[in-house]
Amino acid sequence: MSHASNGAPTVITPPKVAERIFKRQGNPEKEDYREQLFELEAKGELEVIRVPEPYVEVETKFGRKKKIPLEHTWHHKSCGQCGHIPGYPTSIFWLHRQFGFDYFDPKDQTSCTAWNYYASSTSNPPAQASIAVRNFSQAHVDGYFPFIHCGTSYGHYKETRDQIIHFPKLREQVRRIMDRLNMPFAFPEEIVHYSEWLHVMRDRIAERKVLDLSNVTVSVHPACHYHKLIPEDAIYNDDIYNGQRTSVVTGIAQALGAKVADYSNWHDCCGFGFSHILVNRDFSRSFAAIRKIERMKEEANPDLVLAHDTGCLTTLDKSQFATRAHNRKVGIPVMSDVQFAALAMGAHPYKVCQLHWHGVDNKPLLEKMGIDHEKAWAEFEEQAEKIKSGETQFMTWEEADA
Amino acid sequence: MPNLPVLVIGGGPAGLEAARGVADLGYKAVLVEKESVLGGRPILESYAALTPDMRNTEEAMNEMIGRISNNEAVDIRTGATVTAVEGEAPNFKVTLQNGSGAETLDVSSVIVSTGFQHFDPGRETQMYGYYEFDDVITLTDAEKMLKAGKFVRPSTGEAPKRVAFIQCVGSRDRQIGNKWCSKVCCGIASKQASEIRHFVPDAKLFIFYIDLRAYGFWEDELYWKAQEENKVNYIRGIVTEINKRGESVVVKGEDTTMGRPMEIPMDMVILSVGMEPSEGTKDMSKLFNLPLESHGYIATTGGALNTVETTVPGVFIAGAAGGPADLEDSVSMAGAAASRACAFIRKSEMAVA
Ligand SMILES: Cc1cc2nc3c(=O)[nH]c(=O)nc-3n(C[C@H](O)[C@H](O)[C@H](O)COP(=O)(O)OP(=O)(O)OC[C@H]3O[C@@H](n4cnc5c(N)ncnc54)[C@H](O)[C@@H]3O)c2cc1C
Ligand code: SF4
Repeated sequence: MSHASNGAPTVITPPKVAERIFKRQGNPEKEDYREQLFELEAKGELEVIRVPEPYVEVETKFGRKKKIPLEHTWHHKSCGQCGHIPGYPTSIFWLHRQFGFDYFDPKDQTSCTAWNYYASSTSNPPAQASIAVRNFSQAHVDGYFPFIHCGTSYGHYKETRDQIIHFPKLREQVRRIMDRLNMPFAFPEEIVHYSEWLHVMRDRIAERKVLDLSNVTVSVHPACHYHKLIPEDAIYNDDIYNGQRTSVVTGIAQALGAKVADYSNWHDCCGFGFSHILVNRDFSRSFAAIRKIERMKEEANPDLVLAHDTGCLTTLDKSQFATRAHNRKVGIPVMSDVQFAALAMGAHPYKVCQLHWHGVDNKPLLEKMGIDHEKAWAEFEEQAEKIKSGETQFMTWEEADA
Repeated sequence: MPNLPVLVIGGGPAGLEAARGVADLGYKAVLVEKESVLGGRPILESYAALTPDMRNTEEAMNEMIGRISNNEAVDIRTGATVTAVEGEAPNFKVTLQNGSGAETLDVSSVIVSTGFQHFDPGRETQMYGYYEFDDVITLTDAEKMLKAGKFVRPSTGEAPKRVAFIQCVGSRDRQIGNKWCSKVCCGIASKQASEIRHFVPDAKLFIFYIDLRAYGFWEDELYWKAQEENKVNYIRGIVTEINKRGESVVVKGEDTTMGRPMEIPMDMVILSVGMEPSEGTKDMSKLFNLPLESHGYIATTGGALNTVETTVPGVFIAGAAGGPADLEDSVSMAGAAASRACAFIRKSEMAVA
């Protein structure tokens, strides 16, 4: 035992977090699926869809570089987003348009069917894999790179990639189906989620923001499908949570100048639970409201919850509506990182971000963000009236921006 | 045939014992240590007391150092390392590099005792918050506090009321590729928990483990003592993540005895980080062309029956360079390596004569 000269023990405290220097040590013993895809391509088994230029390379959990394309993307939409939160895909497109990026909004994309598979195990591996490959191949035929909006599709497609790489019989079955469709068997070099694009675009978006968000506190809910399923694909930055948690969502919120408040259930599922929302809905609802939303309220008291997956967003938002009936301490607006980013860059809250579809009252938040929601609503109603009267059939991008 | 010295690389417990062994057997040794001090991890990381006999580390290591530092047969080179090698045993030509330059030495054989490094708890497991929360520390951070004689909560400087150890951080984890048990951490955690009990008598102490590995006498000397005399709670169930709630760090995982999830607020969490081959061990394996065994440590040729010989004639290993090892293993291996190295020289002398 060492003692100072006055006989008292010397107090040594371990280094504080700020002094602990984290260095990524590289890949653990894991296969590199890109190499394996290129090997399969060399054998003539499939075609690898290259990430188009321009792309940005970012670090993943184990330090490998992942290429995120900026444009020439084929937008694989989400059935959940389009159905429950239509302002979500619209915001993604709106941002692409603001930057003048070339993108493709396909009309013949099919659902990934992952919900079906998680909830009931109906369908079968060749059907699941063929759906993924058909969507990817269509993107390839269209001359674009697949860009996945939905966290569920993103997670599921990564699992599918593993199966396609490891099971020759499955590849053979998929090949037969693709041959009958008269389509190539194409698979992307990287599976890219829209929030990764948003992440690499965060500084450019921040440069063009029109709102002061410094008095807005957000709490982040990252999707299990994004960072827990095949975790080696998820993006990490050393300067966000010291490289210890995925940096998507948090990164854009910080870049936009909002305050990110932490809470102790950050890692927990939103309650959606892969299958729970379909087979055990009450559990999902109470988990979302009590474990997630109430905790956030108690510990972080945020103005807003930011998420990046359809299932999470829907579960966190709509569950509050149900639990309010039981006088629980809920009531935090929920939106996606991309809706938040679009609002920050001046997107219309109703015509583009379609916040009226959300379950929790977001007007106080909009006021805090400096958005005149009454005026915006009047503008939206005016547009809706035109459609109702038959004057126009749908709203154009020009009208949305007007 | 001149009697060339045995080169011992690494001045930790294994290297110190190997050099002494060579000298005791009547040969010369050159001990090269890259740091400015001898003693290896126990000194560099300021271990407090050594398991299982709770001897003061500095005193114990000084005793080992004392045996060679006044010994004419041992040439000690601190702040130096080996950067090149030519030839083969018993006539290696090695280049030593130190602050002031390079020098070439002729040596007959080599004992590699370049040891281990601690697993970095921020790496792949990454859910323990070591780089996020001041109150999450490692076994070595804790050793330093115990050595200084005061155990406090880093964030407040006050005595903690609840302290948890998480076992197997970076060990026994196939997900990250470290498929081995680091052998010492169960014992060290039990030792530290017992020591903390003396500094903070009313603290609640927990050890979360997969299964507790206190082999041989460590069972009685460390594990039961911690449990019975020092009231340490052992909870079977590995922790999955640590997060913060208010002032507490919350430990989340599954209690596998009770079969249910748990969430326990703590003042402090100590991560029982395991062992990995050190950079020096990896460098020397490349320099001397020594194959690694499947876990990344230097491979020996005879498995359980020859723990010190490598595939390169005249090159031996000792201590944690060959795999996770406690002091007993390290020092015993060093004795074996010294005797094998000397036997090797003797045989080559006889072959020449
Ligand atoms: C937290 C913790 C506490 C522990 N406490 C105990 C305990 O109480 N009791 C017990 O039995 N065991 C304990 N151990 C295990 C103990 O530390 C090891 O058994 C022991 O240190 C191994 O000795 P070594 O000489 O093989 O390696 P090390 O102690 O790692 O020594 C290797 C030496 O080689 C030097 N070196 C490395 N590369 C080069 C190079 N290229 N050139 C020159 N020099 C180089 C290093 O600087 C170092 O001095 C503990 C381990 C941990 C993780
Ligand atoms: S000694 Fe204990 S803590 Fe260390 S790796 Fe083995 S089982 Fe885990």
